[in-house]
Order: sequence, then C-alpha cells, then structure tokens
Amino acid sequence: MQIDHVVCAFCGCVCDDLTVTLEDGRVTGVKQACALGRAWLLGHSAEADQPPALIDGQPASLEEAVEVAAQILSQARYPLIYGLSSTYCEAQRQAVALADLLGATIDCCTSVCHGPSGIAMQVVGEPTCTLGEVKNRADLLIYWGSNPAESHPLHFARYAVTPKGLFIPRGRKDRTVVLVDVRPTASARAADIFLQIKPGRDFECLWALRALIRGLDLEESAVADTGLTLAQLQDLAGRMKSCRFGVLFVGQGLTQSRGKQMNTAAAFMLVRDLYAHTKFAVIPMRGHGNVTGIDNVLSWQTGYPFGVNFSRGYPRFNPGEFTAVDVLGRGEADAALIVASDPVATLPRVAARRLAQIPTVALDTHGSETTKVARVVITTAPAGISAEGTIYRMDNVPLRLRKFLPSPYPSDEEVLGRIVERVTQLRARN
Amino acid sequence: MTTLRLKTWPAVPLEAEAITPDRFVGKTSAEIEALPVHHGNQEAALGDFFAVSGDGTPDIAIEGDLARVKLIGAGMTQGQITVHGDAGMHLGAAMSGGRIGVHGNAGDWAGAEMRGGQIYIRGNAGHGLGGAYRGSPQGMNRGLIVVAGSAGNEVGSAMRRGVIVVGGNTGDFTGAFMIAGSILVFGNLGERAGAGMKRGSIITYQTPKLLPTFRYACTYRPVFLRLLLRELRSLGQEIAEEWFERRYRRYCGDLTAFGKGEILAWEGP
Ligand code: SF4
Repeated sequence: MQIDHVVCAFCGCVCDDLTVTLEDGRVTGVKQACALGRAWLLGHSAEADQPPALIDGQPASLEEAVEVAAQILSQARYPLIYGLSSTYCEAQRQAVALADLLGATIDCCTSVCHGPSGIAMQVVGEPTCTLGEVKNRADLLIYWGSNPAESHPLHFARYAVTPKGLFIPRGRKDRTVVLVDVRPTASARAADIFLQIKPGRDFECLWALRALIRGLDLEESAVADTGLTLAQLQDLAGRMKSCRFGVLFVGQGLTQSRGKQMNTAAAFMLVRDLYAHTKFAVIPMRGHGNVTGIDNVLSWQTGYPFGVNFSRGYPRFNPGEFTAVDVLGRGEADAALIVASDPVATLPRVAARRLAQIPTVALDTHGSETTKVARVVITTAPAGISAEGTIYRMDNVPLRLRKFLPSPYPSDEEVLGRIVERVTQLRARN
Repeated sequence: MTTLRLKTWPAVPLEAEAITPDRFVGKTSAEIEALPVHHGNQEAALGDFFAVSGDGTPDIAIEGDLARVKLIGAGMTQGQITVHGDAGMHLGAAMSGGRIGVHGNAGDWAGAEMRGGQIYIRGNAGHGLGGAYRGSPQGMNRGLIVVAGSAGNEVGSAMRRGVIVVGGNTGDFTGAFMIAGSILVFGNLGERAGAGMKRGSIITYQTPKLLPTFRYACTYRPVFLRLLLRELRSLGQEIAEEWFERRYRRYCGDLTAFGKGEILAWEGP
C-alpha cells in the first residue's frame, strides 16, 4: 500500500510531501525523504516488540505504570517535566496541564539548543519570516553556526538555496549563500562564500558587523581576534545592506558557544539594524521535529517559551533557575517525567546523574539511555506514524501529522491524559 | 536582634521572601515562626525550617547553610540582615532600603533590580549581580553592592543607577546594556564588558580586552572617580593610594548604542 503526503517529524524542516510504502503492517519504502527521514520511518511496524511498560525494569501493564507514575509525581515537591521535542502539540498541551497541576517545573530541549534565541527574542523582538518567503524572495542567505547539509538535509533544496521562487526566477543563480562557522563543514560546498571565524568569537564578529552597518570606521586591529579580516567583514556588511531580501539562519554553533543568549541577541539586533537599509529576517535553525511546537504551546499557555515553573501556582520564567540542566545539576528536582527525549544521553553528566538518583518516569517509543535509568517506562506510539496531531515547522508554521500505521501502544497524549486524570483524583483525595 | 538558625535543611528550594526586617518588625518569635514560606510546591511556615529567637527588631541574623534558601531580604525597605553562611538566589532582589551582609557566597541574581540599600558579600557572587531579569528593561536602579570575591556573568546588566564594586574578577558581559551607574572591578574584568552600554562607567585596574565598538578618547584623572574611591574607602573598602594618583585611559562606547558610556582603565603604576 502506498501513502502520499506523509509529513516527516524528524527534523525542523518538517517535509510534508513524502511517500511511504507499507507491506504487511511494516514501512518498507520511503520516497522524497532524506537519509535521516528515511532511517526514522523505515522498519516501523504495527507489531508489539516491547512490553507496554516497565516498572523497576520488570514488564508491567499500562494501568500499573500510570498508577506508579502518578504516585511518584504527586508526592514530589519539586518535580521536573522535560523533553517534549519529538511529540505533537496535543500531547505537549497535556504535559503543560500536568505541570500546572503538580506545581512542577516544565522545560523542553529548547533550553539546551535555542533557548538563547527565546531570550534574545524577549529583549530585541524577532524580525522573522516563513520559509515560503525565503523560497520566493530571499536573494542573500547567511548561515551562522549551522550545518544544514547534515542536520536538515532537505533544507537547501526545499526552502532556501536551490528552489526557484516568485521573485527568484533563476533559483540558485539568483541567490548568494554565505556560511559562517568555526570550521568548514559539509554545508560549505553549497555556499558561495565561506567565512571561518575563531571559536567563541561569534559575538565580536556580529558586533563588528553591526558597527560597519551603522557606518562606523573600524581599525583592522579592532577585529583582529575574530578570525576574519576587516575587508571580509566589510564585504559581508556591504552584501547585507545591498541585498533585496536577506535571511540570517542561526544555528546551535551560535546559540551554544560562549556568549549564548548575547550572541543571539546580537544577531537579532544586527537584523533589526538592517531594516534601515533593506528587508532582512532571522530564522533559528530548530533541530528536533517539534521543538518549535513546545515553545508555541508553552508560550500560549503560560506566556513563556521554556524553563517555566509552577511551584507557586502561577507560571514563572527564569532561565538558569528553572531550566532542566540547572534544576537537575544543583540536585533540586526530586522526581522527573521525561517525554519523547533522551536527556541522559544529551545533558551534561551531573544533570544526567541526577535523573538516575531520583524516581524518573519516561515515555518513549523505544529504549534509550534515559529509559535504562528510569523507574517507570511507558512505551508510546511514534508521532507522525502511529499517532496524529499538530507539529510546528521551524518557522512556526503548523502542519498536521498523520497516522498511517496502527500501533499496539497508546499515544503520548493518551498516556499523559491518563496521568493527569489519576493525579487529579489523588489530589482530590488529599 | 532577631536570630534565625537553620534547623532543617530544605530538600528542595525554599522561597523565603518573608525573611525581611519589614515582615519581622513588631512580631513575637512565635509570630515570626508562623510566617509563610514556599518549600518547592508546598506551603510551609518559617518555623518548620528555622529556630527563631529574639524580639522582632528590624535587625536579623541568620545562621546556617542557606544556599537553597532563595529571596532572603527581597523587596526589603529598611533594617539589617546578616547571613552567617552562604545565601541562595535573589538575595536582596528588588530591595529599596536597608543593609544585607553575607559572610559567605551569594547565589545568582543577588541585588537584581534593587532600588536602594546596600549589599555586602564577603565571598563570591553568582551571575546577574545587580542585573536585570530576562526580558526586563532595567537592572539595579540606586544602591550599592560590594563583593569581596569574584562575580559571574552579566554583572550589572542594564543597570540604571547605583554602584557595584567587585574585589575579584567578573565574568563575561559586565555592564552589558548598562543605562547608567558605575561598576568597579579590581580583579580581571571579563570579556565583552559594556556591550551595548548607553551611558555609565566601568572602571578596571587591568588592561581590558575591548569590543570593536569602543574607542580610545583620552587619558586623564577623572574627578568623580577620586570622590567615589574616597567614599568607598570611608565605607571600609581597601583602596590603593596609587589609584588616586595615576591617570586613567578613557574608552567610549558602546558605539552601536548611544556611545556615551565609558570604560576607564587605570594606566598602571
Ligand atoms: S529534511 Fe528533515 S523533515 Fe525533511 S525528510 Fe529529512 S529529516 Fe525529515
């Protein structure tokens, strides 16, 4: 059986024109996807290959697992809910409801990838656009600390570099592509200009560009430690000012290097400054499938995009205080619920170690480093294959994920909903 | 004097903005013990964690490891708090009067957005000392913070008025987006100091590493600095004689902002 218009939920590109072949309840063929998307989709089957749940490593039923999870979470005094990047918005909404109910801290992978972009947005605002505008209008593309060729493989071909657009009739020929990074990556081949900056000097480069765009004269010595020459910076500033529609894509190379939110604030300010000359936009290159979705869900429910704390009964936001790495690293969280994410493999060691020390509940479609240390593990159906819902593309455009394969496992939304229900009952009793 | 002694170490963060002279004044020790605090997601009483003795005068001494106790003296307007041990986050945040002394280290955001009063920290301070909270337009606006040790990143970010003195080193972005006020750093001034500053003074006694948007203006003896140093000396801060005598190099910036700020670098002996 062939299924068209399948949406890939693996990376922030959220390609929505895939074709999937099913044979005997198993995905056997994938067309139009990149290697990452294909690997993610292939091999999924409608059969049960794992127990529905584990409690202390022993197979258990879903009901038992929900009960233990609800007990753990409602007894905790500083519970943490974390992850949520690879699930859909309806499930994320349940997680926010649960955080509110528990007086928990809720944080998502944003805080360790593009949290700084969120912080910068609050300070400067986010002059942004959609990928459709990029395709149809952008004649200057600047990638900063991002390697889409490997992280978002179809980004160049679908949205940015090669496609022909309304005002870009000749496609690639009408665009100039600049890559700024600390080393030449696979994406450098797609770029017309590659600028290699010194590691940790992003802020200085952006700041020098801001100065040049404002017409200030700089000395060669002032930019000496950026890794670029004044002539290179002047050339880039000139291109930025004279393009018709420029887009700055910022990646984790910028948001996670020395300076973090200040780097991103500098990038956003640079784009804001460019409005005096031309049309320019900035788009953070969001990685995981629906990490943009959890930012949106948290924002419309609490007013803040990540690192939200409900312990006083109302939402509070303070990165560094209520972000997962910090709450775990300081040993404050006394229980955790991890949804669709593998923090034990990705967070710094002290934070990961804390997850093994406290009672942790993990919801995932398959085993991970986190499910190995979790007290309760619940297997859920993969979003976009066996569960349907809303997903946000990295430019904040919502798309509908489809369910095309039945699953023996419940969806994240259903499991979270049951935990919410059980916690509500436990609360009412006390 | 009212004395609080930590008897139960909080297992999760304890938010205790009740610990201010304003709330204690005129209360008996039993009434003080009944004041509400937040232990994680649960309400508790101050007496669950502290043994209280004393008479409810606006002079508070606290003993114990308070690294997990947040908001000590936050919003206070009068009186005095002395912490014998480490203090947690938001110490004296948004305070507008009175004095806090810490015989230990302080957590992040000490004196954040304060509006007056004084904070003395014998040990080190964390990030965001006297700074602005995320998304807030202004940090500290009046008051004095003196840290004997070092401080973290974003000291005095977006500060509007007041004085911050750091005896040791500061992290990156000291005085970033500062609107006005003075920051003196006697150890190493961190990188990217004064990024985006509009006005205000950052004073350093080492050769600073400057952003490309700061420009050398002149070398001189700033009169205000002599007065400020003398004032700090009268408050007990150690000030070397040669800091009065020698000249300072003035760099103005940040030229991407208003450009009326300055970094004053002592010329050296
Ligand atoms: S680019 Fe991303 S969304 Fe598109 S197919 Fe590849 S992994 Fe899936």
